[in-house]
Amino acid sequence: MNEALNILTRGFVRENPVTKMLLGLCPVLAVTTSAVNGLGMGLATTFVLLGSNIVISLTAKVIPDTVRIPAFVLVIATFVTIVDLLIKAYSPELNQALGIFIPLIVVNCMILGRAEAFASRNGIWYSVIDAVGMGIGFTLALFVLSAFREVLGSGTIFNMPLVGEDASTILVFALPPGAFAGLGLIIAGLNALEKKKGGK
Amino acid sequence: MRPIITLTIVGLIAAALLATVEDLTREPIALAKAEMKRKAIEEIFPFGIDSLKNVETPKTKFYEAYDKKGVLKGIAVESATTLGYSGKIEILLGVSPEKKIFDYKVVYHLETPGLGDKIDKPKYKEQFRGRALEGTVWKVKKDGGEIDELTAATISARAVTDAVERGLKYINEQYPNSEGK
Repeated sequence: MNEALNILTRGFVRENPVTKMLLGLCPVLAVTTSAVNGLGMGLATTFVLLGSNIVISLTAKVIPDTVRIPAFVLVIATFVTIVDLLIKAYSPELNQALGIFIPLIVVNCMILGRAEAFASRNGIWYSVIDAVGMGIGFTLALFVLSAFREVLGSGTIFNMPLVGEDASTILVFALPPGAFAGLGLIIAGLNALEKKKGGK
Repeated sequence: MRPIITLTIVGLIAAALLATVEDLTREPIALAKAEMKRKAIEEIFPFGIDSLKNVETPKTKFYEAYDKKGVLKGIAVESATTLGYSGKIEILLGVSPEKKIFDYKVVYHLETPGLGDKIDKPKYKEQFRGRALEGTVWKVKKDGGEIDELTAATISARAVTDAVERGLKYINEQYPNSEGK
């Protein structure tokens, strides 16, 4: 049980896919202009990760090593297409906001990374926990970054205004450079915290 | 041989699964799209719509909005421009039967969040209300026209001005009489 808890929580901060492993940064930087987008992207990715981890942990033994990667990509692409269709059908607003970045989950190296490094070598139970933990970590990182950027860049949170319409905001945070700066600040903050803890 | 067989089986299962999901979501997706369009049309007209009639031409689509008595209250037209800061901008433009603008709505754009995307804010769109193709110089003020530009987003303002002008021209072609019939 301890092992399970360890697998679950390490994705939150200790081995967070975004802030620690710096994996799958394309969606992290591109869609985090508003908190809703960040959350939507995080949850969509989590769903794909969960699906691919389950299928891959179940089938890893019957898939020959030579075609392992193509088979993984196929599995991941299938789940991504399912998510894409479901979002188009049931949340057209989110589809409009995330657009091209949903199909691009296919090339999110975090998912292939988990498939290769974890799911193909572990049973279904641990793989599910791993997917949930990493998914939460990914969603958390996206949410923090997107909320940070939305508040500073647009002066709103979840599309609700925090300041008057005429107030000037720090526009750069709504633009691509702000994504890099914001992510850098978050990583620096986390590293500083860790150092402080380690120093004690 | 085994890798080929395995990969084929994986591919077949994936294809079957996707076909099923596609089949299940086809109708909801079409409904969601129609619903989004309907909502956009309702938003740009300041009155309630009883029925809509779609008119499709090779260039664009028109939506004629009628009230309960069957009187034409407004026409919406799909228009687009490629002059945007990040490519295509699509709008839905609503005019009265006298071809005066009610409002427009940006239905697709990739303009910069916080700058160019202000083209879809009521505060910016207000200036278009009541304007017609004739009697307005369809350029931003910087280019000698009458439309306000946006601070730090002149290109987006220019583009949306172009899209609105195109929409008005489409309507003029389709409805040459001023009554819109």
